[in-house]
Amino acid sequence: MMSLKNRWFYIIVAILAVPNSGLVVQGIEPPGTGATLGDSSDNGAVLSFRVDVMPIFFRAGCNAGTCHGSARGKDGFMLSLFGYDPKGDYERVVNEIPLRRINPSVPEQSLLLLKATGAVPHTGGKLFDRESDYYKTVHRWIESGACDDEVAVAETVAVELSSEQMLFDAPSQSRSLKVSARLSDGTVRDVTTLARFFSNNESVARIDARGDVASIGPGDTHVFARYSRFTVGAEVIVLPQPTDFSWMVPPSVNFIDQHVFDRLEKLRILPSEICDDETFLRRVTLDLIARTPTVDEYREFMQDRRSDKRSITIDRLLADEAFADYWAGLWAEQLRLIGGNYAPNATDVKAADAFYQWIRKQMREARPLNEFVAEMVDASGSNLTNGPANLYTMLVHKPQFEPKAFAADFSQVFLGIQIQCAECHNHPFDRWTQDDYYSFVSFFTGLKRKPGVEPRERRVYYDAASPPANHVVDGRPMPAKVLGGVAPVTPGGDPRTPLAHWLTSPENELFSRNLANRIWAQLMGRGVIEPVDDIRASNPPVNGPLLNALSARLVESKFDLRTLVRDICNSQVYQLSAKPNDSNRRDTRQFSHSHLKRLRADVLIDSLVTATGVPRGFPGFPEGTRAIEYYPRESGETEGPHFGDVFFATFGRSSRGTVCACETKKEPTLSQTLHLSVGETVRDRISRNREVVKLLESHASEDAILEQLFVRTLCRRPSDTERESLKSIIADASDPLVAYEDIFWSLLNSTEFIFNH
Amino acid sequence: MVHRIQVASGRVRPRYPRWSLVILVLSIIAAFFPPLIHAQDSKVISYEDHIAPILKRHCLQCHGDTKQESGLSLANYSALMKGSSGGAIVVSGRSGSSRLLSVLIAEDPAERMPPENDPLSESEIGLVKSWIEAGLKQDAGSEAVVARTMNFTPSVVVPRVGDGVLPGELPHVSEQVLNRPFARVALGTSPNANLVAVAGYERVDFINTKLINTKTRESLGALSFPEGIPMVIRFSRSGATLMVAGGSPVRSGRGVLFDVATGRRLAEIGDESDAVLAADLSSDETKMAIGGSGRVVKVYSTVTGELKHTLVKHTDWITAMAYSPDGKFLASGDRVGNIHLWDAETGGVVLPLAEHKGLVRSLSWRSDGQMLASCGEDGLIVWWDVVKGWPAMSKPNAHPPARPEGVYGKIPNGVLDLAFGPKGELVSCGRDQQVRFWSSDGNLQKTFALDMETGSGSPSDPNAPPRSKTHARLQPKVLLLRVGFVFDGSRVIAGDTSGMVWSWSVDPSIEK
Repeated sequence: MMSLKNRWFYIIVAILAVPNSGLVVQGIEPPGTGATLGDSSDNGAVLSFRVDVMPIFFRAGCNAGTCHGSARGKDGFMLSLFGYDPKGDYERVVNEIPLRRINPSVPEQSLLLLKATGAVPHTGGKLFDRESDYYKTVHRWIESGACDDEVAVAETVAVELSSEQMLFDAPSQSRSLKVSARLSDGTVRDVTTLARFFSNNESVARIDARGDVASIGPGDTHVFARYSRFTVGAEVIVLPQPTDFSWMVPPSVNFIDQHVFDRLEKLRILPSEICDDETFLRRVTLDLIARTPTVDEYREFMQDRRSDKRSITIDRLLADEAFADYWAGLWAEQLRLIGGNYAPNATDVKAADAFYQWIRKQMREARPLNEFVAEMVDASGSNLTNGPANLYTMLVHKPQFEPKAFAADFSQVFLGIQIQCAECHNHPFDRWTQDDYYSFVSFFTGLKRKPGVEPRERRVYYDAASPPANHVVDGRPMPAKVLGGVAPVTPGGDPRTPLAHWLTSPENELFSRNLANRIWAQLMGRGVIEPVDDIRASNPPVNGPLLNALSARLVESKFDLRTLVRDICNSQVYQLSAKPNDSNRRDTRQFSHSHLKRLRADVLIDSLVTATGVPRGFPGFPEGTRAIEYYPRESGETEGPHFGDVFFATFGRSSRGTVCACETKKEPTLSQTLHLSVGETVRDRISRNREVVKLLESHASEDAILEQLFVRTLCRRPSDTERESLKSIIADASDPLVAYEDIFWSLLNSTEFIFNH
Repeated sequence: MVHRIQVASGRVRPRYPRWSLVILVLSIIAAFFPPLIHAQDSKVISYEDHIAPILKRHCLQCHGDTKQESGLSLANYSALMKGSSGGAIVVSGRSGSSRLLSVLIAEDPAERMPPENDPLSESEIGLVKSWIEAGLKQDAGSEAVVARTMNFTPSVVVPRVGDGVLPGELPHVSEQVLNRPFARVALGTSPNANLVAVAGYERVDFINTKLINTKTRESLGALSFPEGIPMVIRFSRSGATLMVAGGSPVRSGRGVLFDVATGRRLAEIGDESDAVLAADLSSDETKMAIGGSGRVVKVYSTVTGELKHTLVKHTDWITAMAYSPDGKFLASGDRVGNIHLWDAETGGVVLPLAEHKGLVRSLSWRSDGQMLASCGEDGLIVWWDVVKGWPAMSKPNAHPPARPEGVYGKIPNGVLDLAFGPKGELVSCGRDQQVRFWSSDGNLQKTFALDMETGSGSPSDPNAPPRSKTHARLQPKVLLLRVGFVFDGSRVIAGDTSGMVWSWSVDPSIEK
């Protein structure tokens, strides 16, 4: 409550005239002004808009994206999202419509307070009551004049939780979490009542507004507190009810098994069995060389009696050129490689070829991935002759080079971080601020593309004299600074050189973790962080030690792709069966069993070609080109999505319309089923190569023919029941050729064929 | 008397020889683009002679016959006039609103045309700009698409003698206990008396602009306004009636007419669910228009209290409103910068006045009704030729804020209020804490500043309490919210957020 002493009588203003004193005739002050302000010590410290009032806007949700924090505000009143623009917020609260929201003369009549307490109609409802500390704080601030901070106030530099890990052994338990903020002046403040809380999985654990965490059901998740520009998380594990769980340690082959099994044991989940040889061969062949195994490869592998034949097969596949080509295709897709004649956006087919050939060379020669990336980042020169320079023409398909769009896509591809949120406001769920964003954009503000001697050509160079990007809120020039860095890079020269060095150095965990996670996801069907290109504080790895170890292994191997792939494929975890057991049936993220993966569109075509022996051409490419080598080659505008082939559109190959990993669609759809069952892709391939006719002409037995067809498509022999029922179909058929071709067709249309399991 | 006849007949007699007008116009143009005018004034800039070669050299590759990026062709005059898929790219006479120019001069290379090339030379850009300004002529012989009118000569001066109505013995309005002095959010000056009415909390105070004296802290009385905050205060043209409009935010709002002499309530207009933000009384006092967060302008009869028109055109809160002196037009402005001119009698739309890019703070008519001035948070003051609907003159950054060292980007430079004086002169106040005085031809004449070092206290006032640093730090920044002229234009009155009312003599030499 206010003491009466702090209110002063204000009677009425009189006007003071100083006759003949020139232009200015001063008014006098209302009696009492100034004299009473010294009493503010009675109220304790003077309240600050930024330190005391804005956190209440945040906590109460006023500046959330669904309310006044929306880009256009709400019901005529706008605040910056989560308070990224304190100066602007002050102006809008106090001065936009004078006296409307804040009434320092009669503080309790301020609309801000009336709205927040629900005393007048408010779309957002009642947020706190008049007795709350929130109300008292805002009221006191208005009472003392609703001043803006004139001197720099202490900023929050770190936020910490009272606990980083919570283990509940049963549902319906509760524990409380405290949040503290460390300020730039060294003080630490308990901000539990000002933070906002959320849980990543409410079916495992919930967290309420007081910071109390309650266990709900078995599983693992993270709960988060957000305060100022920080999001901090604590891991929560809720154990399943102790039934008859007994951990059976499967034999660990390498560090990957160690970390995954540790995690599973903690969560009381048993891994599935190791898959059989047939499943392994199909899985590893599809994963490494992007097609199903041939009949010969099958026979050779199945007849091999060596105990380490799986490792031998992995090494054989890693040495296959198709492995390098597959990864070249994946990189090309990620870097949005595209080409065509008359392409206005510096994406001419000649440039695309130069880029693709360069990428493939690096993959075939096993260039360390960090060097591969660094060469692109630092590249200059003609896009027609210097392949890596096409990073600056392909990653963003625009007629002009756009530093902001490029910086956003660059960090998404090479760091897995989406900083573009910070273009307009501090990242709501990560550490990245607008300062970070604009400093990062400044690495590219001097990047120029100059038309070359011919229209297809662009010469990429860096104009070091270009000014850096300006901060969107206050217009400050932001010198180039690496993400998370403290000081800007040394000015002068091409800043991409220090950028490339920082990015790809072994010390940069952002880079190595991103690569390791993407490689893991490519093989396992799911990243340790998922989605792979949305790494942020509020999306932590499901198994932190595993990701750290994968990243460390990549660094230790000098960024050798094949070393990490070899380790993953040799692990027991990779070789687990897709068949779940009772304890891991519900697990979808801890790698306790193999994930079913629908084949990528290009892998599916190449597998159909392998199984039927009928090649498939692609527009603009020579006969015999594999789908994984294909990139969209279409003339004209290249800014929009390009699939290049209707099959790719149907089966969700990346259209290269954006850098998002989600451009590659993994979901099965009805049109895919229809395409395979009635489309020409399968239909034309059943009999074209006369594979079935040849089998019949060889006078092989029914069993042998069926086995051939099964191995060709599913890389396994038919089961006894399958064999018997199919034989009866063949016996009933008037023409065995028709029956066999129908069987062949059915196998190619089976779910088992379309999935890697 | 002569002047009265002129008002009635509406005839305008030029007060200066015609050539002086020409010089005036030229000097204003010259002030805008000095180098261009001197270089180009001897010849006509036309599309065929000057612009087509520039476009051909730089633009036709992407915006020509073979390719039309963004649906834009610049291959010929009519195609250029048609614009792109986003609409017209040139606005005659207004280079600032023409996209053709803005893409050529964009600082951001990602936005600038032509892409990935050096910007056009200054002389080429200058030609494009001058061509737009001069009316988009196709060839040297063609008519300008529109000519700008710069007729600034105020022709009608209402005689004002200062014998208007003053408040008599007003009913007592009890004094209030307030936490802080009330911001002078509204202020109105009498058209014919030394009288100003200023907003207080739930009240309006009358102050004699002449009896301003250190020792006599007396007012001429007050009116009770229990509705809440008076957001708009206007005297009627006769000076006998005072309109007060406002209310309590998100609860209620209305306008009230008071008899100045007796303080009697004459009428209560409107029953809104939110405080009125903008309002005005028509010159014949029969109509009152109010608006606010409801986005509609409501016109009420002051006689019957009935709602006559609801004007629906604004897309955001209505923040400024003014009836023309002859009562023919009503102008209203909103929070996103749109101004609409309405027929006061029928409520029909006359013209949209589009130039502001931010909240329109204030609208004021010149005494002859030929010109409307507007100002807003975009820092712009516009003198509108209401006959044509074009800005006759616009002053960007009319109140340029000081730029402290190390501060980049946009500093709020809003113009918060303006008012015409009796002779076509204009006064404005802005976020720079200054009052600016503009001559009838739109030239800045004087700047009156508050001495912010000492806050709202006067160093010459012995009664002012001493201020320590701490006190200064606790004070909210003072903003001048409202300005107005005393009836004869001799003084400027302003009210600020700290509750102060300020007064300056326009011409100290004639001060008695």
